[in-house]
Amino acid sequence: MAGLFNAINAARTSLEVNQKSIEVIGNNIANQTTEGYSRQQAIVHPFPAMHYGDFFVGHGVKIADIRRENDIFIDRQIRGKAVDLGMQEAMSRPLGELERVFGVGDNSLSTSIDSFFDAVQELSADPADLVQRNNVIFQGQALATGFTSTVAELDSIKENINISLLSKIETINAQLSEVADLNDRIASIEVHGQTANSARDQRDLLAKSLAGTIGAIAYEDSRGMLALQLPTGLPLVQGGMAMSLSAEFTGSNLNLQLQAGGVTRDLNLRSLGGEFHGLLTLRDSFIPSLNADLDRLAYELAVAVNLQHQAGTGLDSTSGNLFFSMPPNYQPAPPDPTAAEYLGAARQLAVVLTDPNQLAAGFSSAPGDNRNALAIAAIGREYRIGGTDSFTSLYGKIAATVGSESNQNQLFLKGAEDAMVQLENFRDGLVGVSLEEEMISLIQYQRGFQSSAKFLSTVDEMLSALMEIRR
Amino acid sequence: MKVTEQSTYRLMQSNLNRITTDLLSLREQGASGLRLNRPSDDPGAIRPVLNTRSQLQQNARYLETMGQAGDRMAATDGYLAQVENLLVQAKELAINAANGSLNDADLGILADQINQIRQELLNTANASVGGKYLFAGYQQATQPFTVNPSYDPALYDPANPATWWAGYSGDDNPFQLEITPGEVISTTLTGSELFFGIANGSGATSPDGVNSIDLFSVLTRLEEAVRAGNIDDPLQAGGSVQAQLENLEIAANQNRRLRSGLGARAARVDQAMAHQENARVDLEQILSRYQDADIIKVFNDIVQKETAFQAALNVTGRVSKISILDYF
Repeated sequence: MAGLFNAINAARTSLEVNQKSIEVIGNNIANQTTEGYSRQQAIVHPFPAMHYGDFFVGHGVKIADIRRENDIFIDRQIRGKAVDLGMQEAMSRPLGELERVFGVGDNSLSTSIDSFFDAVQELSADPADLVQRNNVIFQGQALATGFTSTVAELDSIKENINISLLSKIETINAQLSEVADLNDRIASIEVHGQTANSARDQRDLLAKSLAGTIGAIAYEDSRGMLALQLPTGLPLVQGGMAMSLSAEFTGSNLNLQLQAGGVTRDLNLRSLGGEFHGLLTLRDSFIPSLNADLDRLAYELAVAVNLQHQAGTGLDSTSGNLFFSMPPNYQPAPPDPTAAEYLGAARQLAVVLTDPNQLAAGFSSAPGDNRNALAIAAIGREYRIGGTDSFTSLYGKIAATVGSESNQNQLFLKGAEDAMVQLENFRDGLVGVSLEEEMISLIQYQRGFQSSAKFLSTVDEMLSALMEIRR
Repeated sequence: MKVTEQSTYRLMQSNLNRITTDLLSLREQGASGLRLNRPSDDPGAIRPVLNTRSQLQQNARYLETMGQAGDRMAATDGYLAQVENLLVQAKELAINAANGSLNDADLGILADQINQIRQELLNTANASVGGKYLFAGYQQATQPFTVNPSYDPALYDPANPATWWAGYSGDDNPFQLEITPGEVISTTLTGSELFFGIANGSGATSPDGVNSIDLFSVLTRLEEAVRAGNIDDPLQAGGSVQAQLENLEIAANQNRRLRSGLGARAARVDQAMAHQENARVDLEQILSRYQDADIIKVFNDIVQKETAFQAALNVTGRVSKISILDYF
């Protein structure tokens, strides 16, 4: 009699386990498309067997744990790739903008340079003509505007980078404190021997996102807490404590800082990874170098044209007039201009000559004298810059720098995207939800449930047979 | 290892993305006809393209300048032909006068005709094109030749310009145009070299009277000699018709010499123009090689990509058709 009751108990555990397993499958199917979800599985153990006469007889089954499938190796790979992907993705938009600014089409700065010297050359054919003289001034103004607007565009790209950094900081801080909260929750759940499946999924997803934005590196300690660090080792999350990022404007510059337990640390592009590294590289290194190149171009052009222009004489017999404004850091007789002298030349380039009669087309005030116009026009053709570059070819160099940077970015981005797709597919292959798998398990557990029910009704029949005996 | 729906769709999507991105770039190339639409398309081609473009612009400017140079030279040459005609007419009149069989009235008529020729020569010397004096050097706005009001036949001295019949207010800079990089060419003659026989930049103030001569003085003195009937006395009025006949020969030579020099320069301009036109074809070819898309290849690629796109869409469509759910 006791055996039959034991059997009823065993059937009950089996019904429960199969039911629970089907619940887990239902949960898996429901989360089939949830990002970062890891397939869960009921871990089933038999109840401890009891000594029964000479035999050990089992007493059914129980669910020991519901565990998520997990692969630390692939998670680390994905986080590592997210750093690359974040950086390349963040750079691609500003680089696209830069490509537009340093275009190679018919309305680029190089065309303006050509047009200016062309206007001077045209003037040489008719040096006294006021229309031609005005045209030279007009083309000079167009060229100066080309320089100033290019610098302004660079400024606005830097500004946009600052804005997108600022907008991300809040999300990052929220994510950091969420990781810290999850650390606490996971530790307090797992201390009871259960696995905090969904909390871990969520935390992994946050760690991946933070790797992409700031290049956070993650380590798990013995208590299951995830420690996050910046690439230079500065702590972001330590156990249940989260640090925060802050930003501070000094002038138009945005400085990033890490508030770590009462200490404020300045962050530069080396201490950050991912998107922030990409954006800061552009803002602090690439764009300033483009700006410096533009300054050099503007400086060399303005000084060369000015000096030659001052050597000539206008129709009104005046000499020594400036055509362009002299660059702000111009040195009259330098050994060789350096970066300090180039500084700010492009931003402040303007045409200061307003009276077309003062345009020095000749070396005398004679209306037919075109010698200085020819000399100025020749400047545009000469390899003035370092003896190797003309003005247009220096511009070409700048545009080519932008082009190859963007080209490289596109290649890397494509590579990182492909790698990410592969890694994610690999992860799905290991821990993702496959409908086929779930459906087959579903049949299995359904049959298990059915057979347990059948077993139960058989035991019930046997019990009622026993009951019949006394009647 | 298993294949999940998620991975399949992710893969499909990434493939479709790649194909559509490639298609967009190919379509842009096809529509613009350019391979180089932005710097990243081919960073290596940027410098050659920009350099070639600026050379093409210079090339167009040189061609235009040469056209103008040609026009100016043709105009100048027309006036030189006029000068030559006038000198020939003067010579005929002088030979006529040197016959010795003419009376004073006839000589007076001849002298008047010579006077008119000189007047016409003065008009020629003050010729202007487009409001600019052709023979004034850089002083295009100033009438180059004016009659010397204090001219006195008795005081005439070939070495002293102040005693000549005409005065020159231009300078000795012929108008120069750049026809190829660094090559400047004189497109006009200055009045002083053409009419006074003073070579440009020589620093001389008077012609040597052997190879070069002051045309106005020759005609003036010829008129004086004819009017006075002085056929062969170098010390009398006008220095004799015979002497002026020789001077006329020098003047004609001077004019021919300058004219042939101008002709040689015009030929140089023609040659340079042909050269620049060839250069333009070459430059356009170079530019095209760097920036133009190979249209046939682009369209081939587009067809290929479209096929790939269709195939990818087809596969994506099929993925959703087979499902384990259909078997339960």
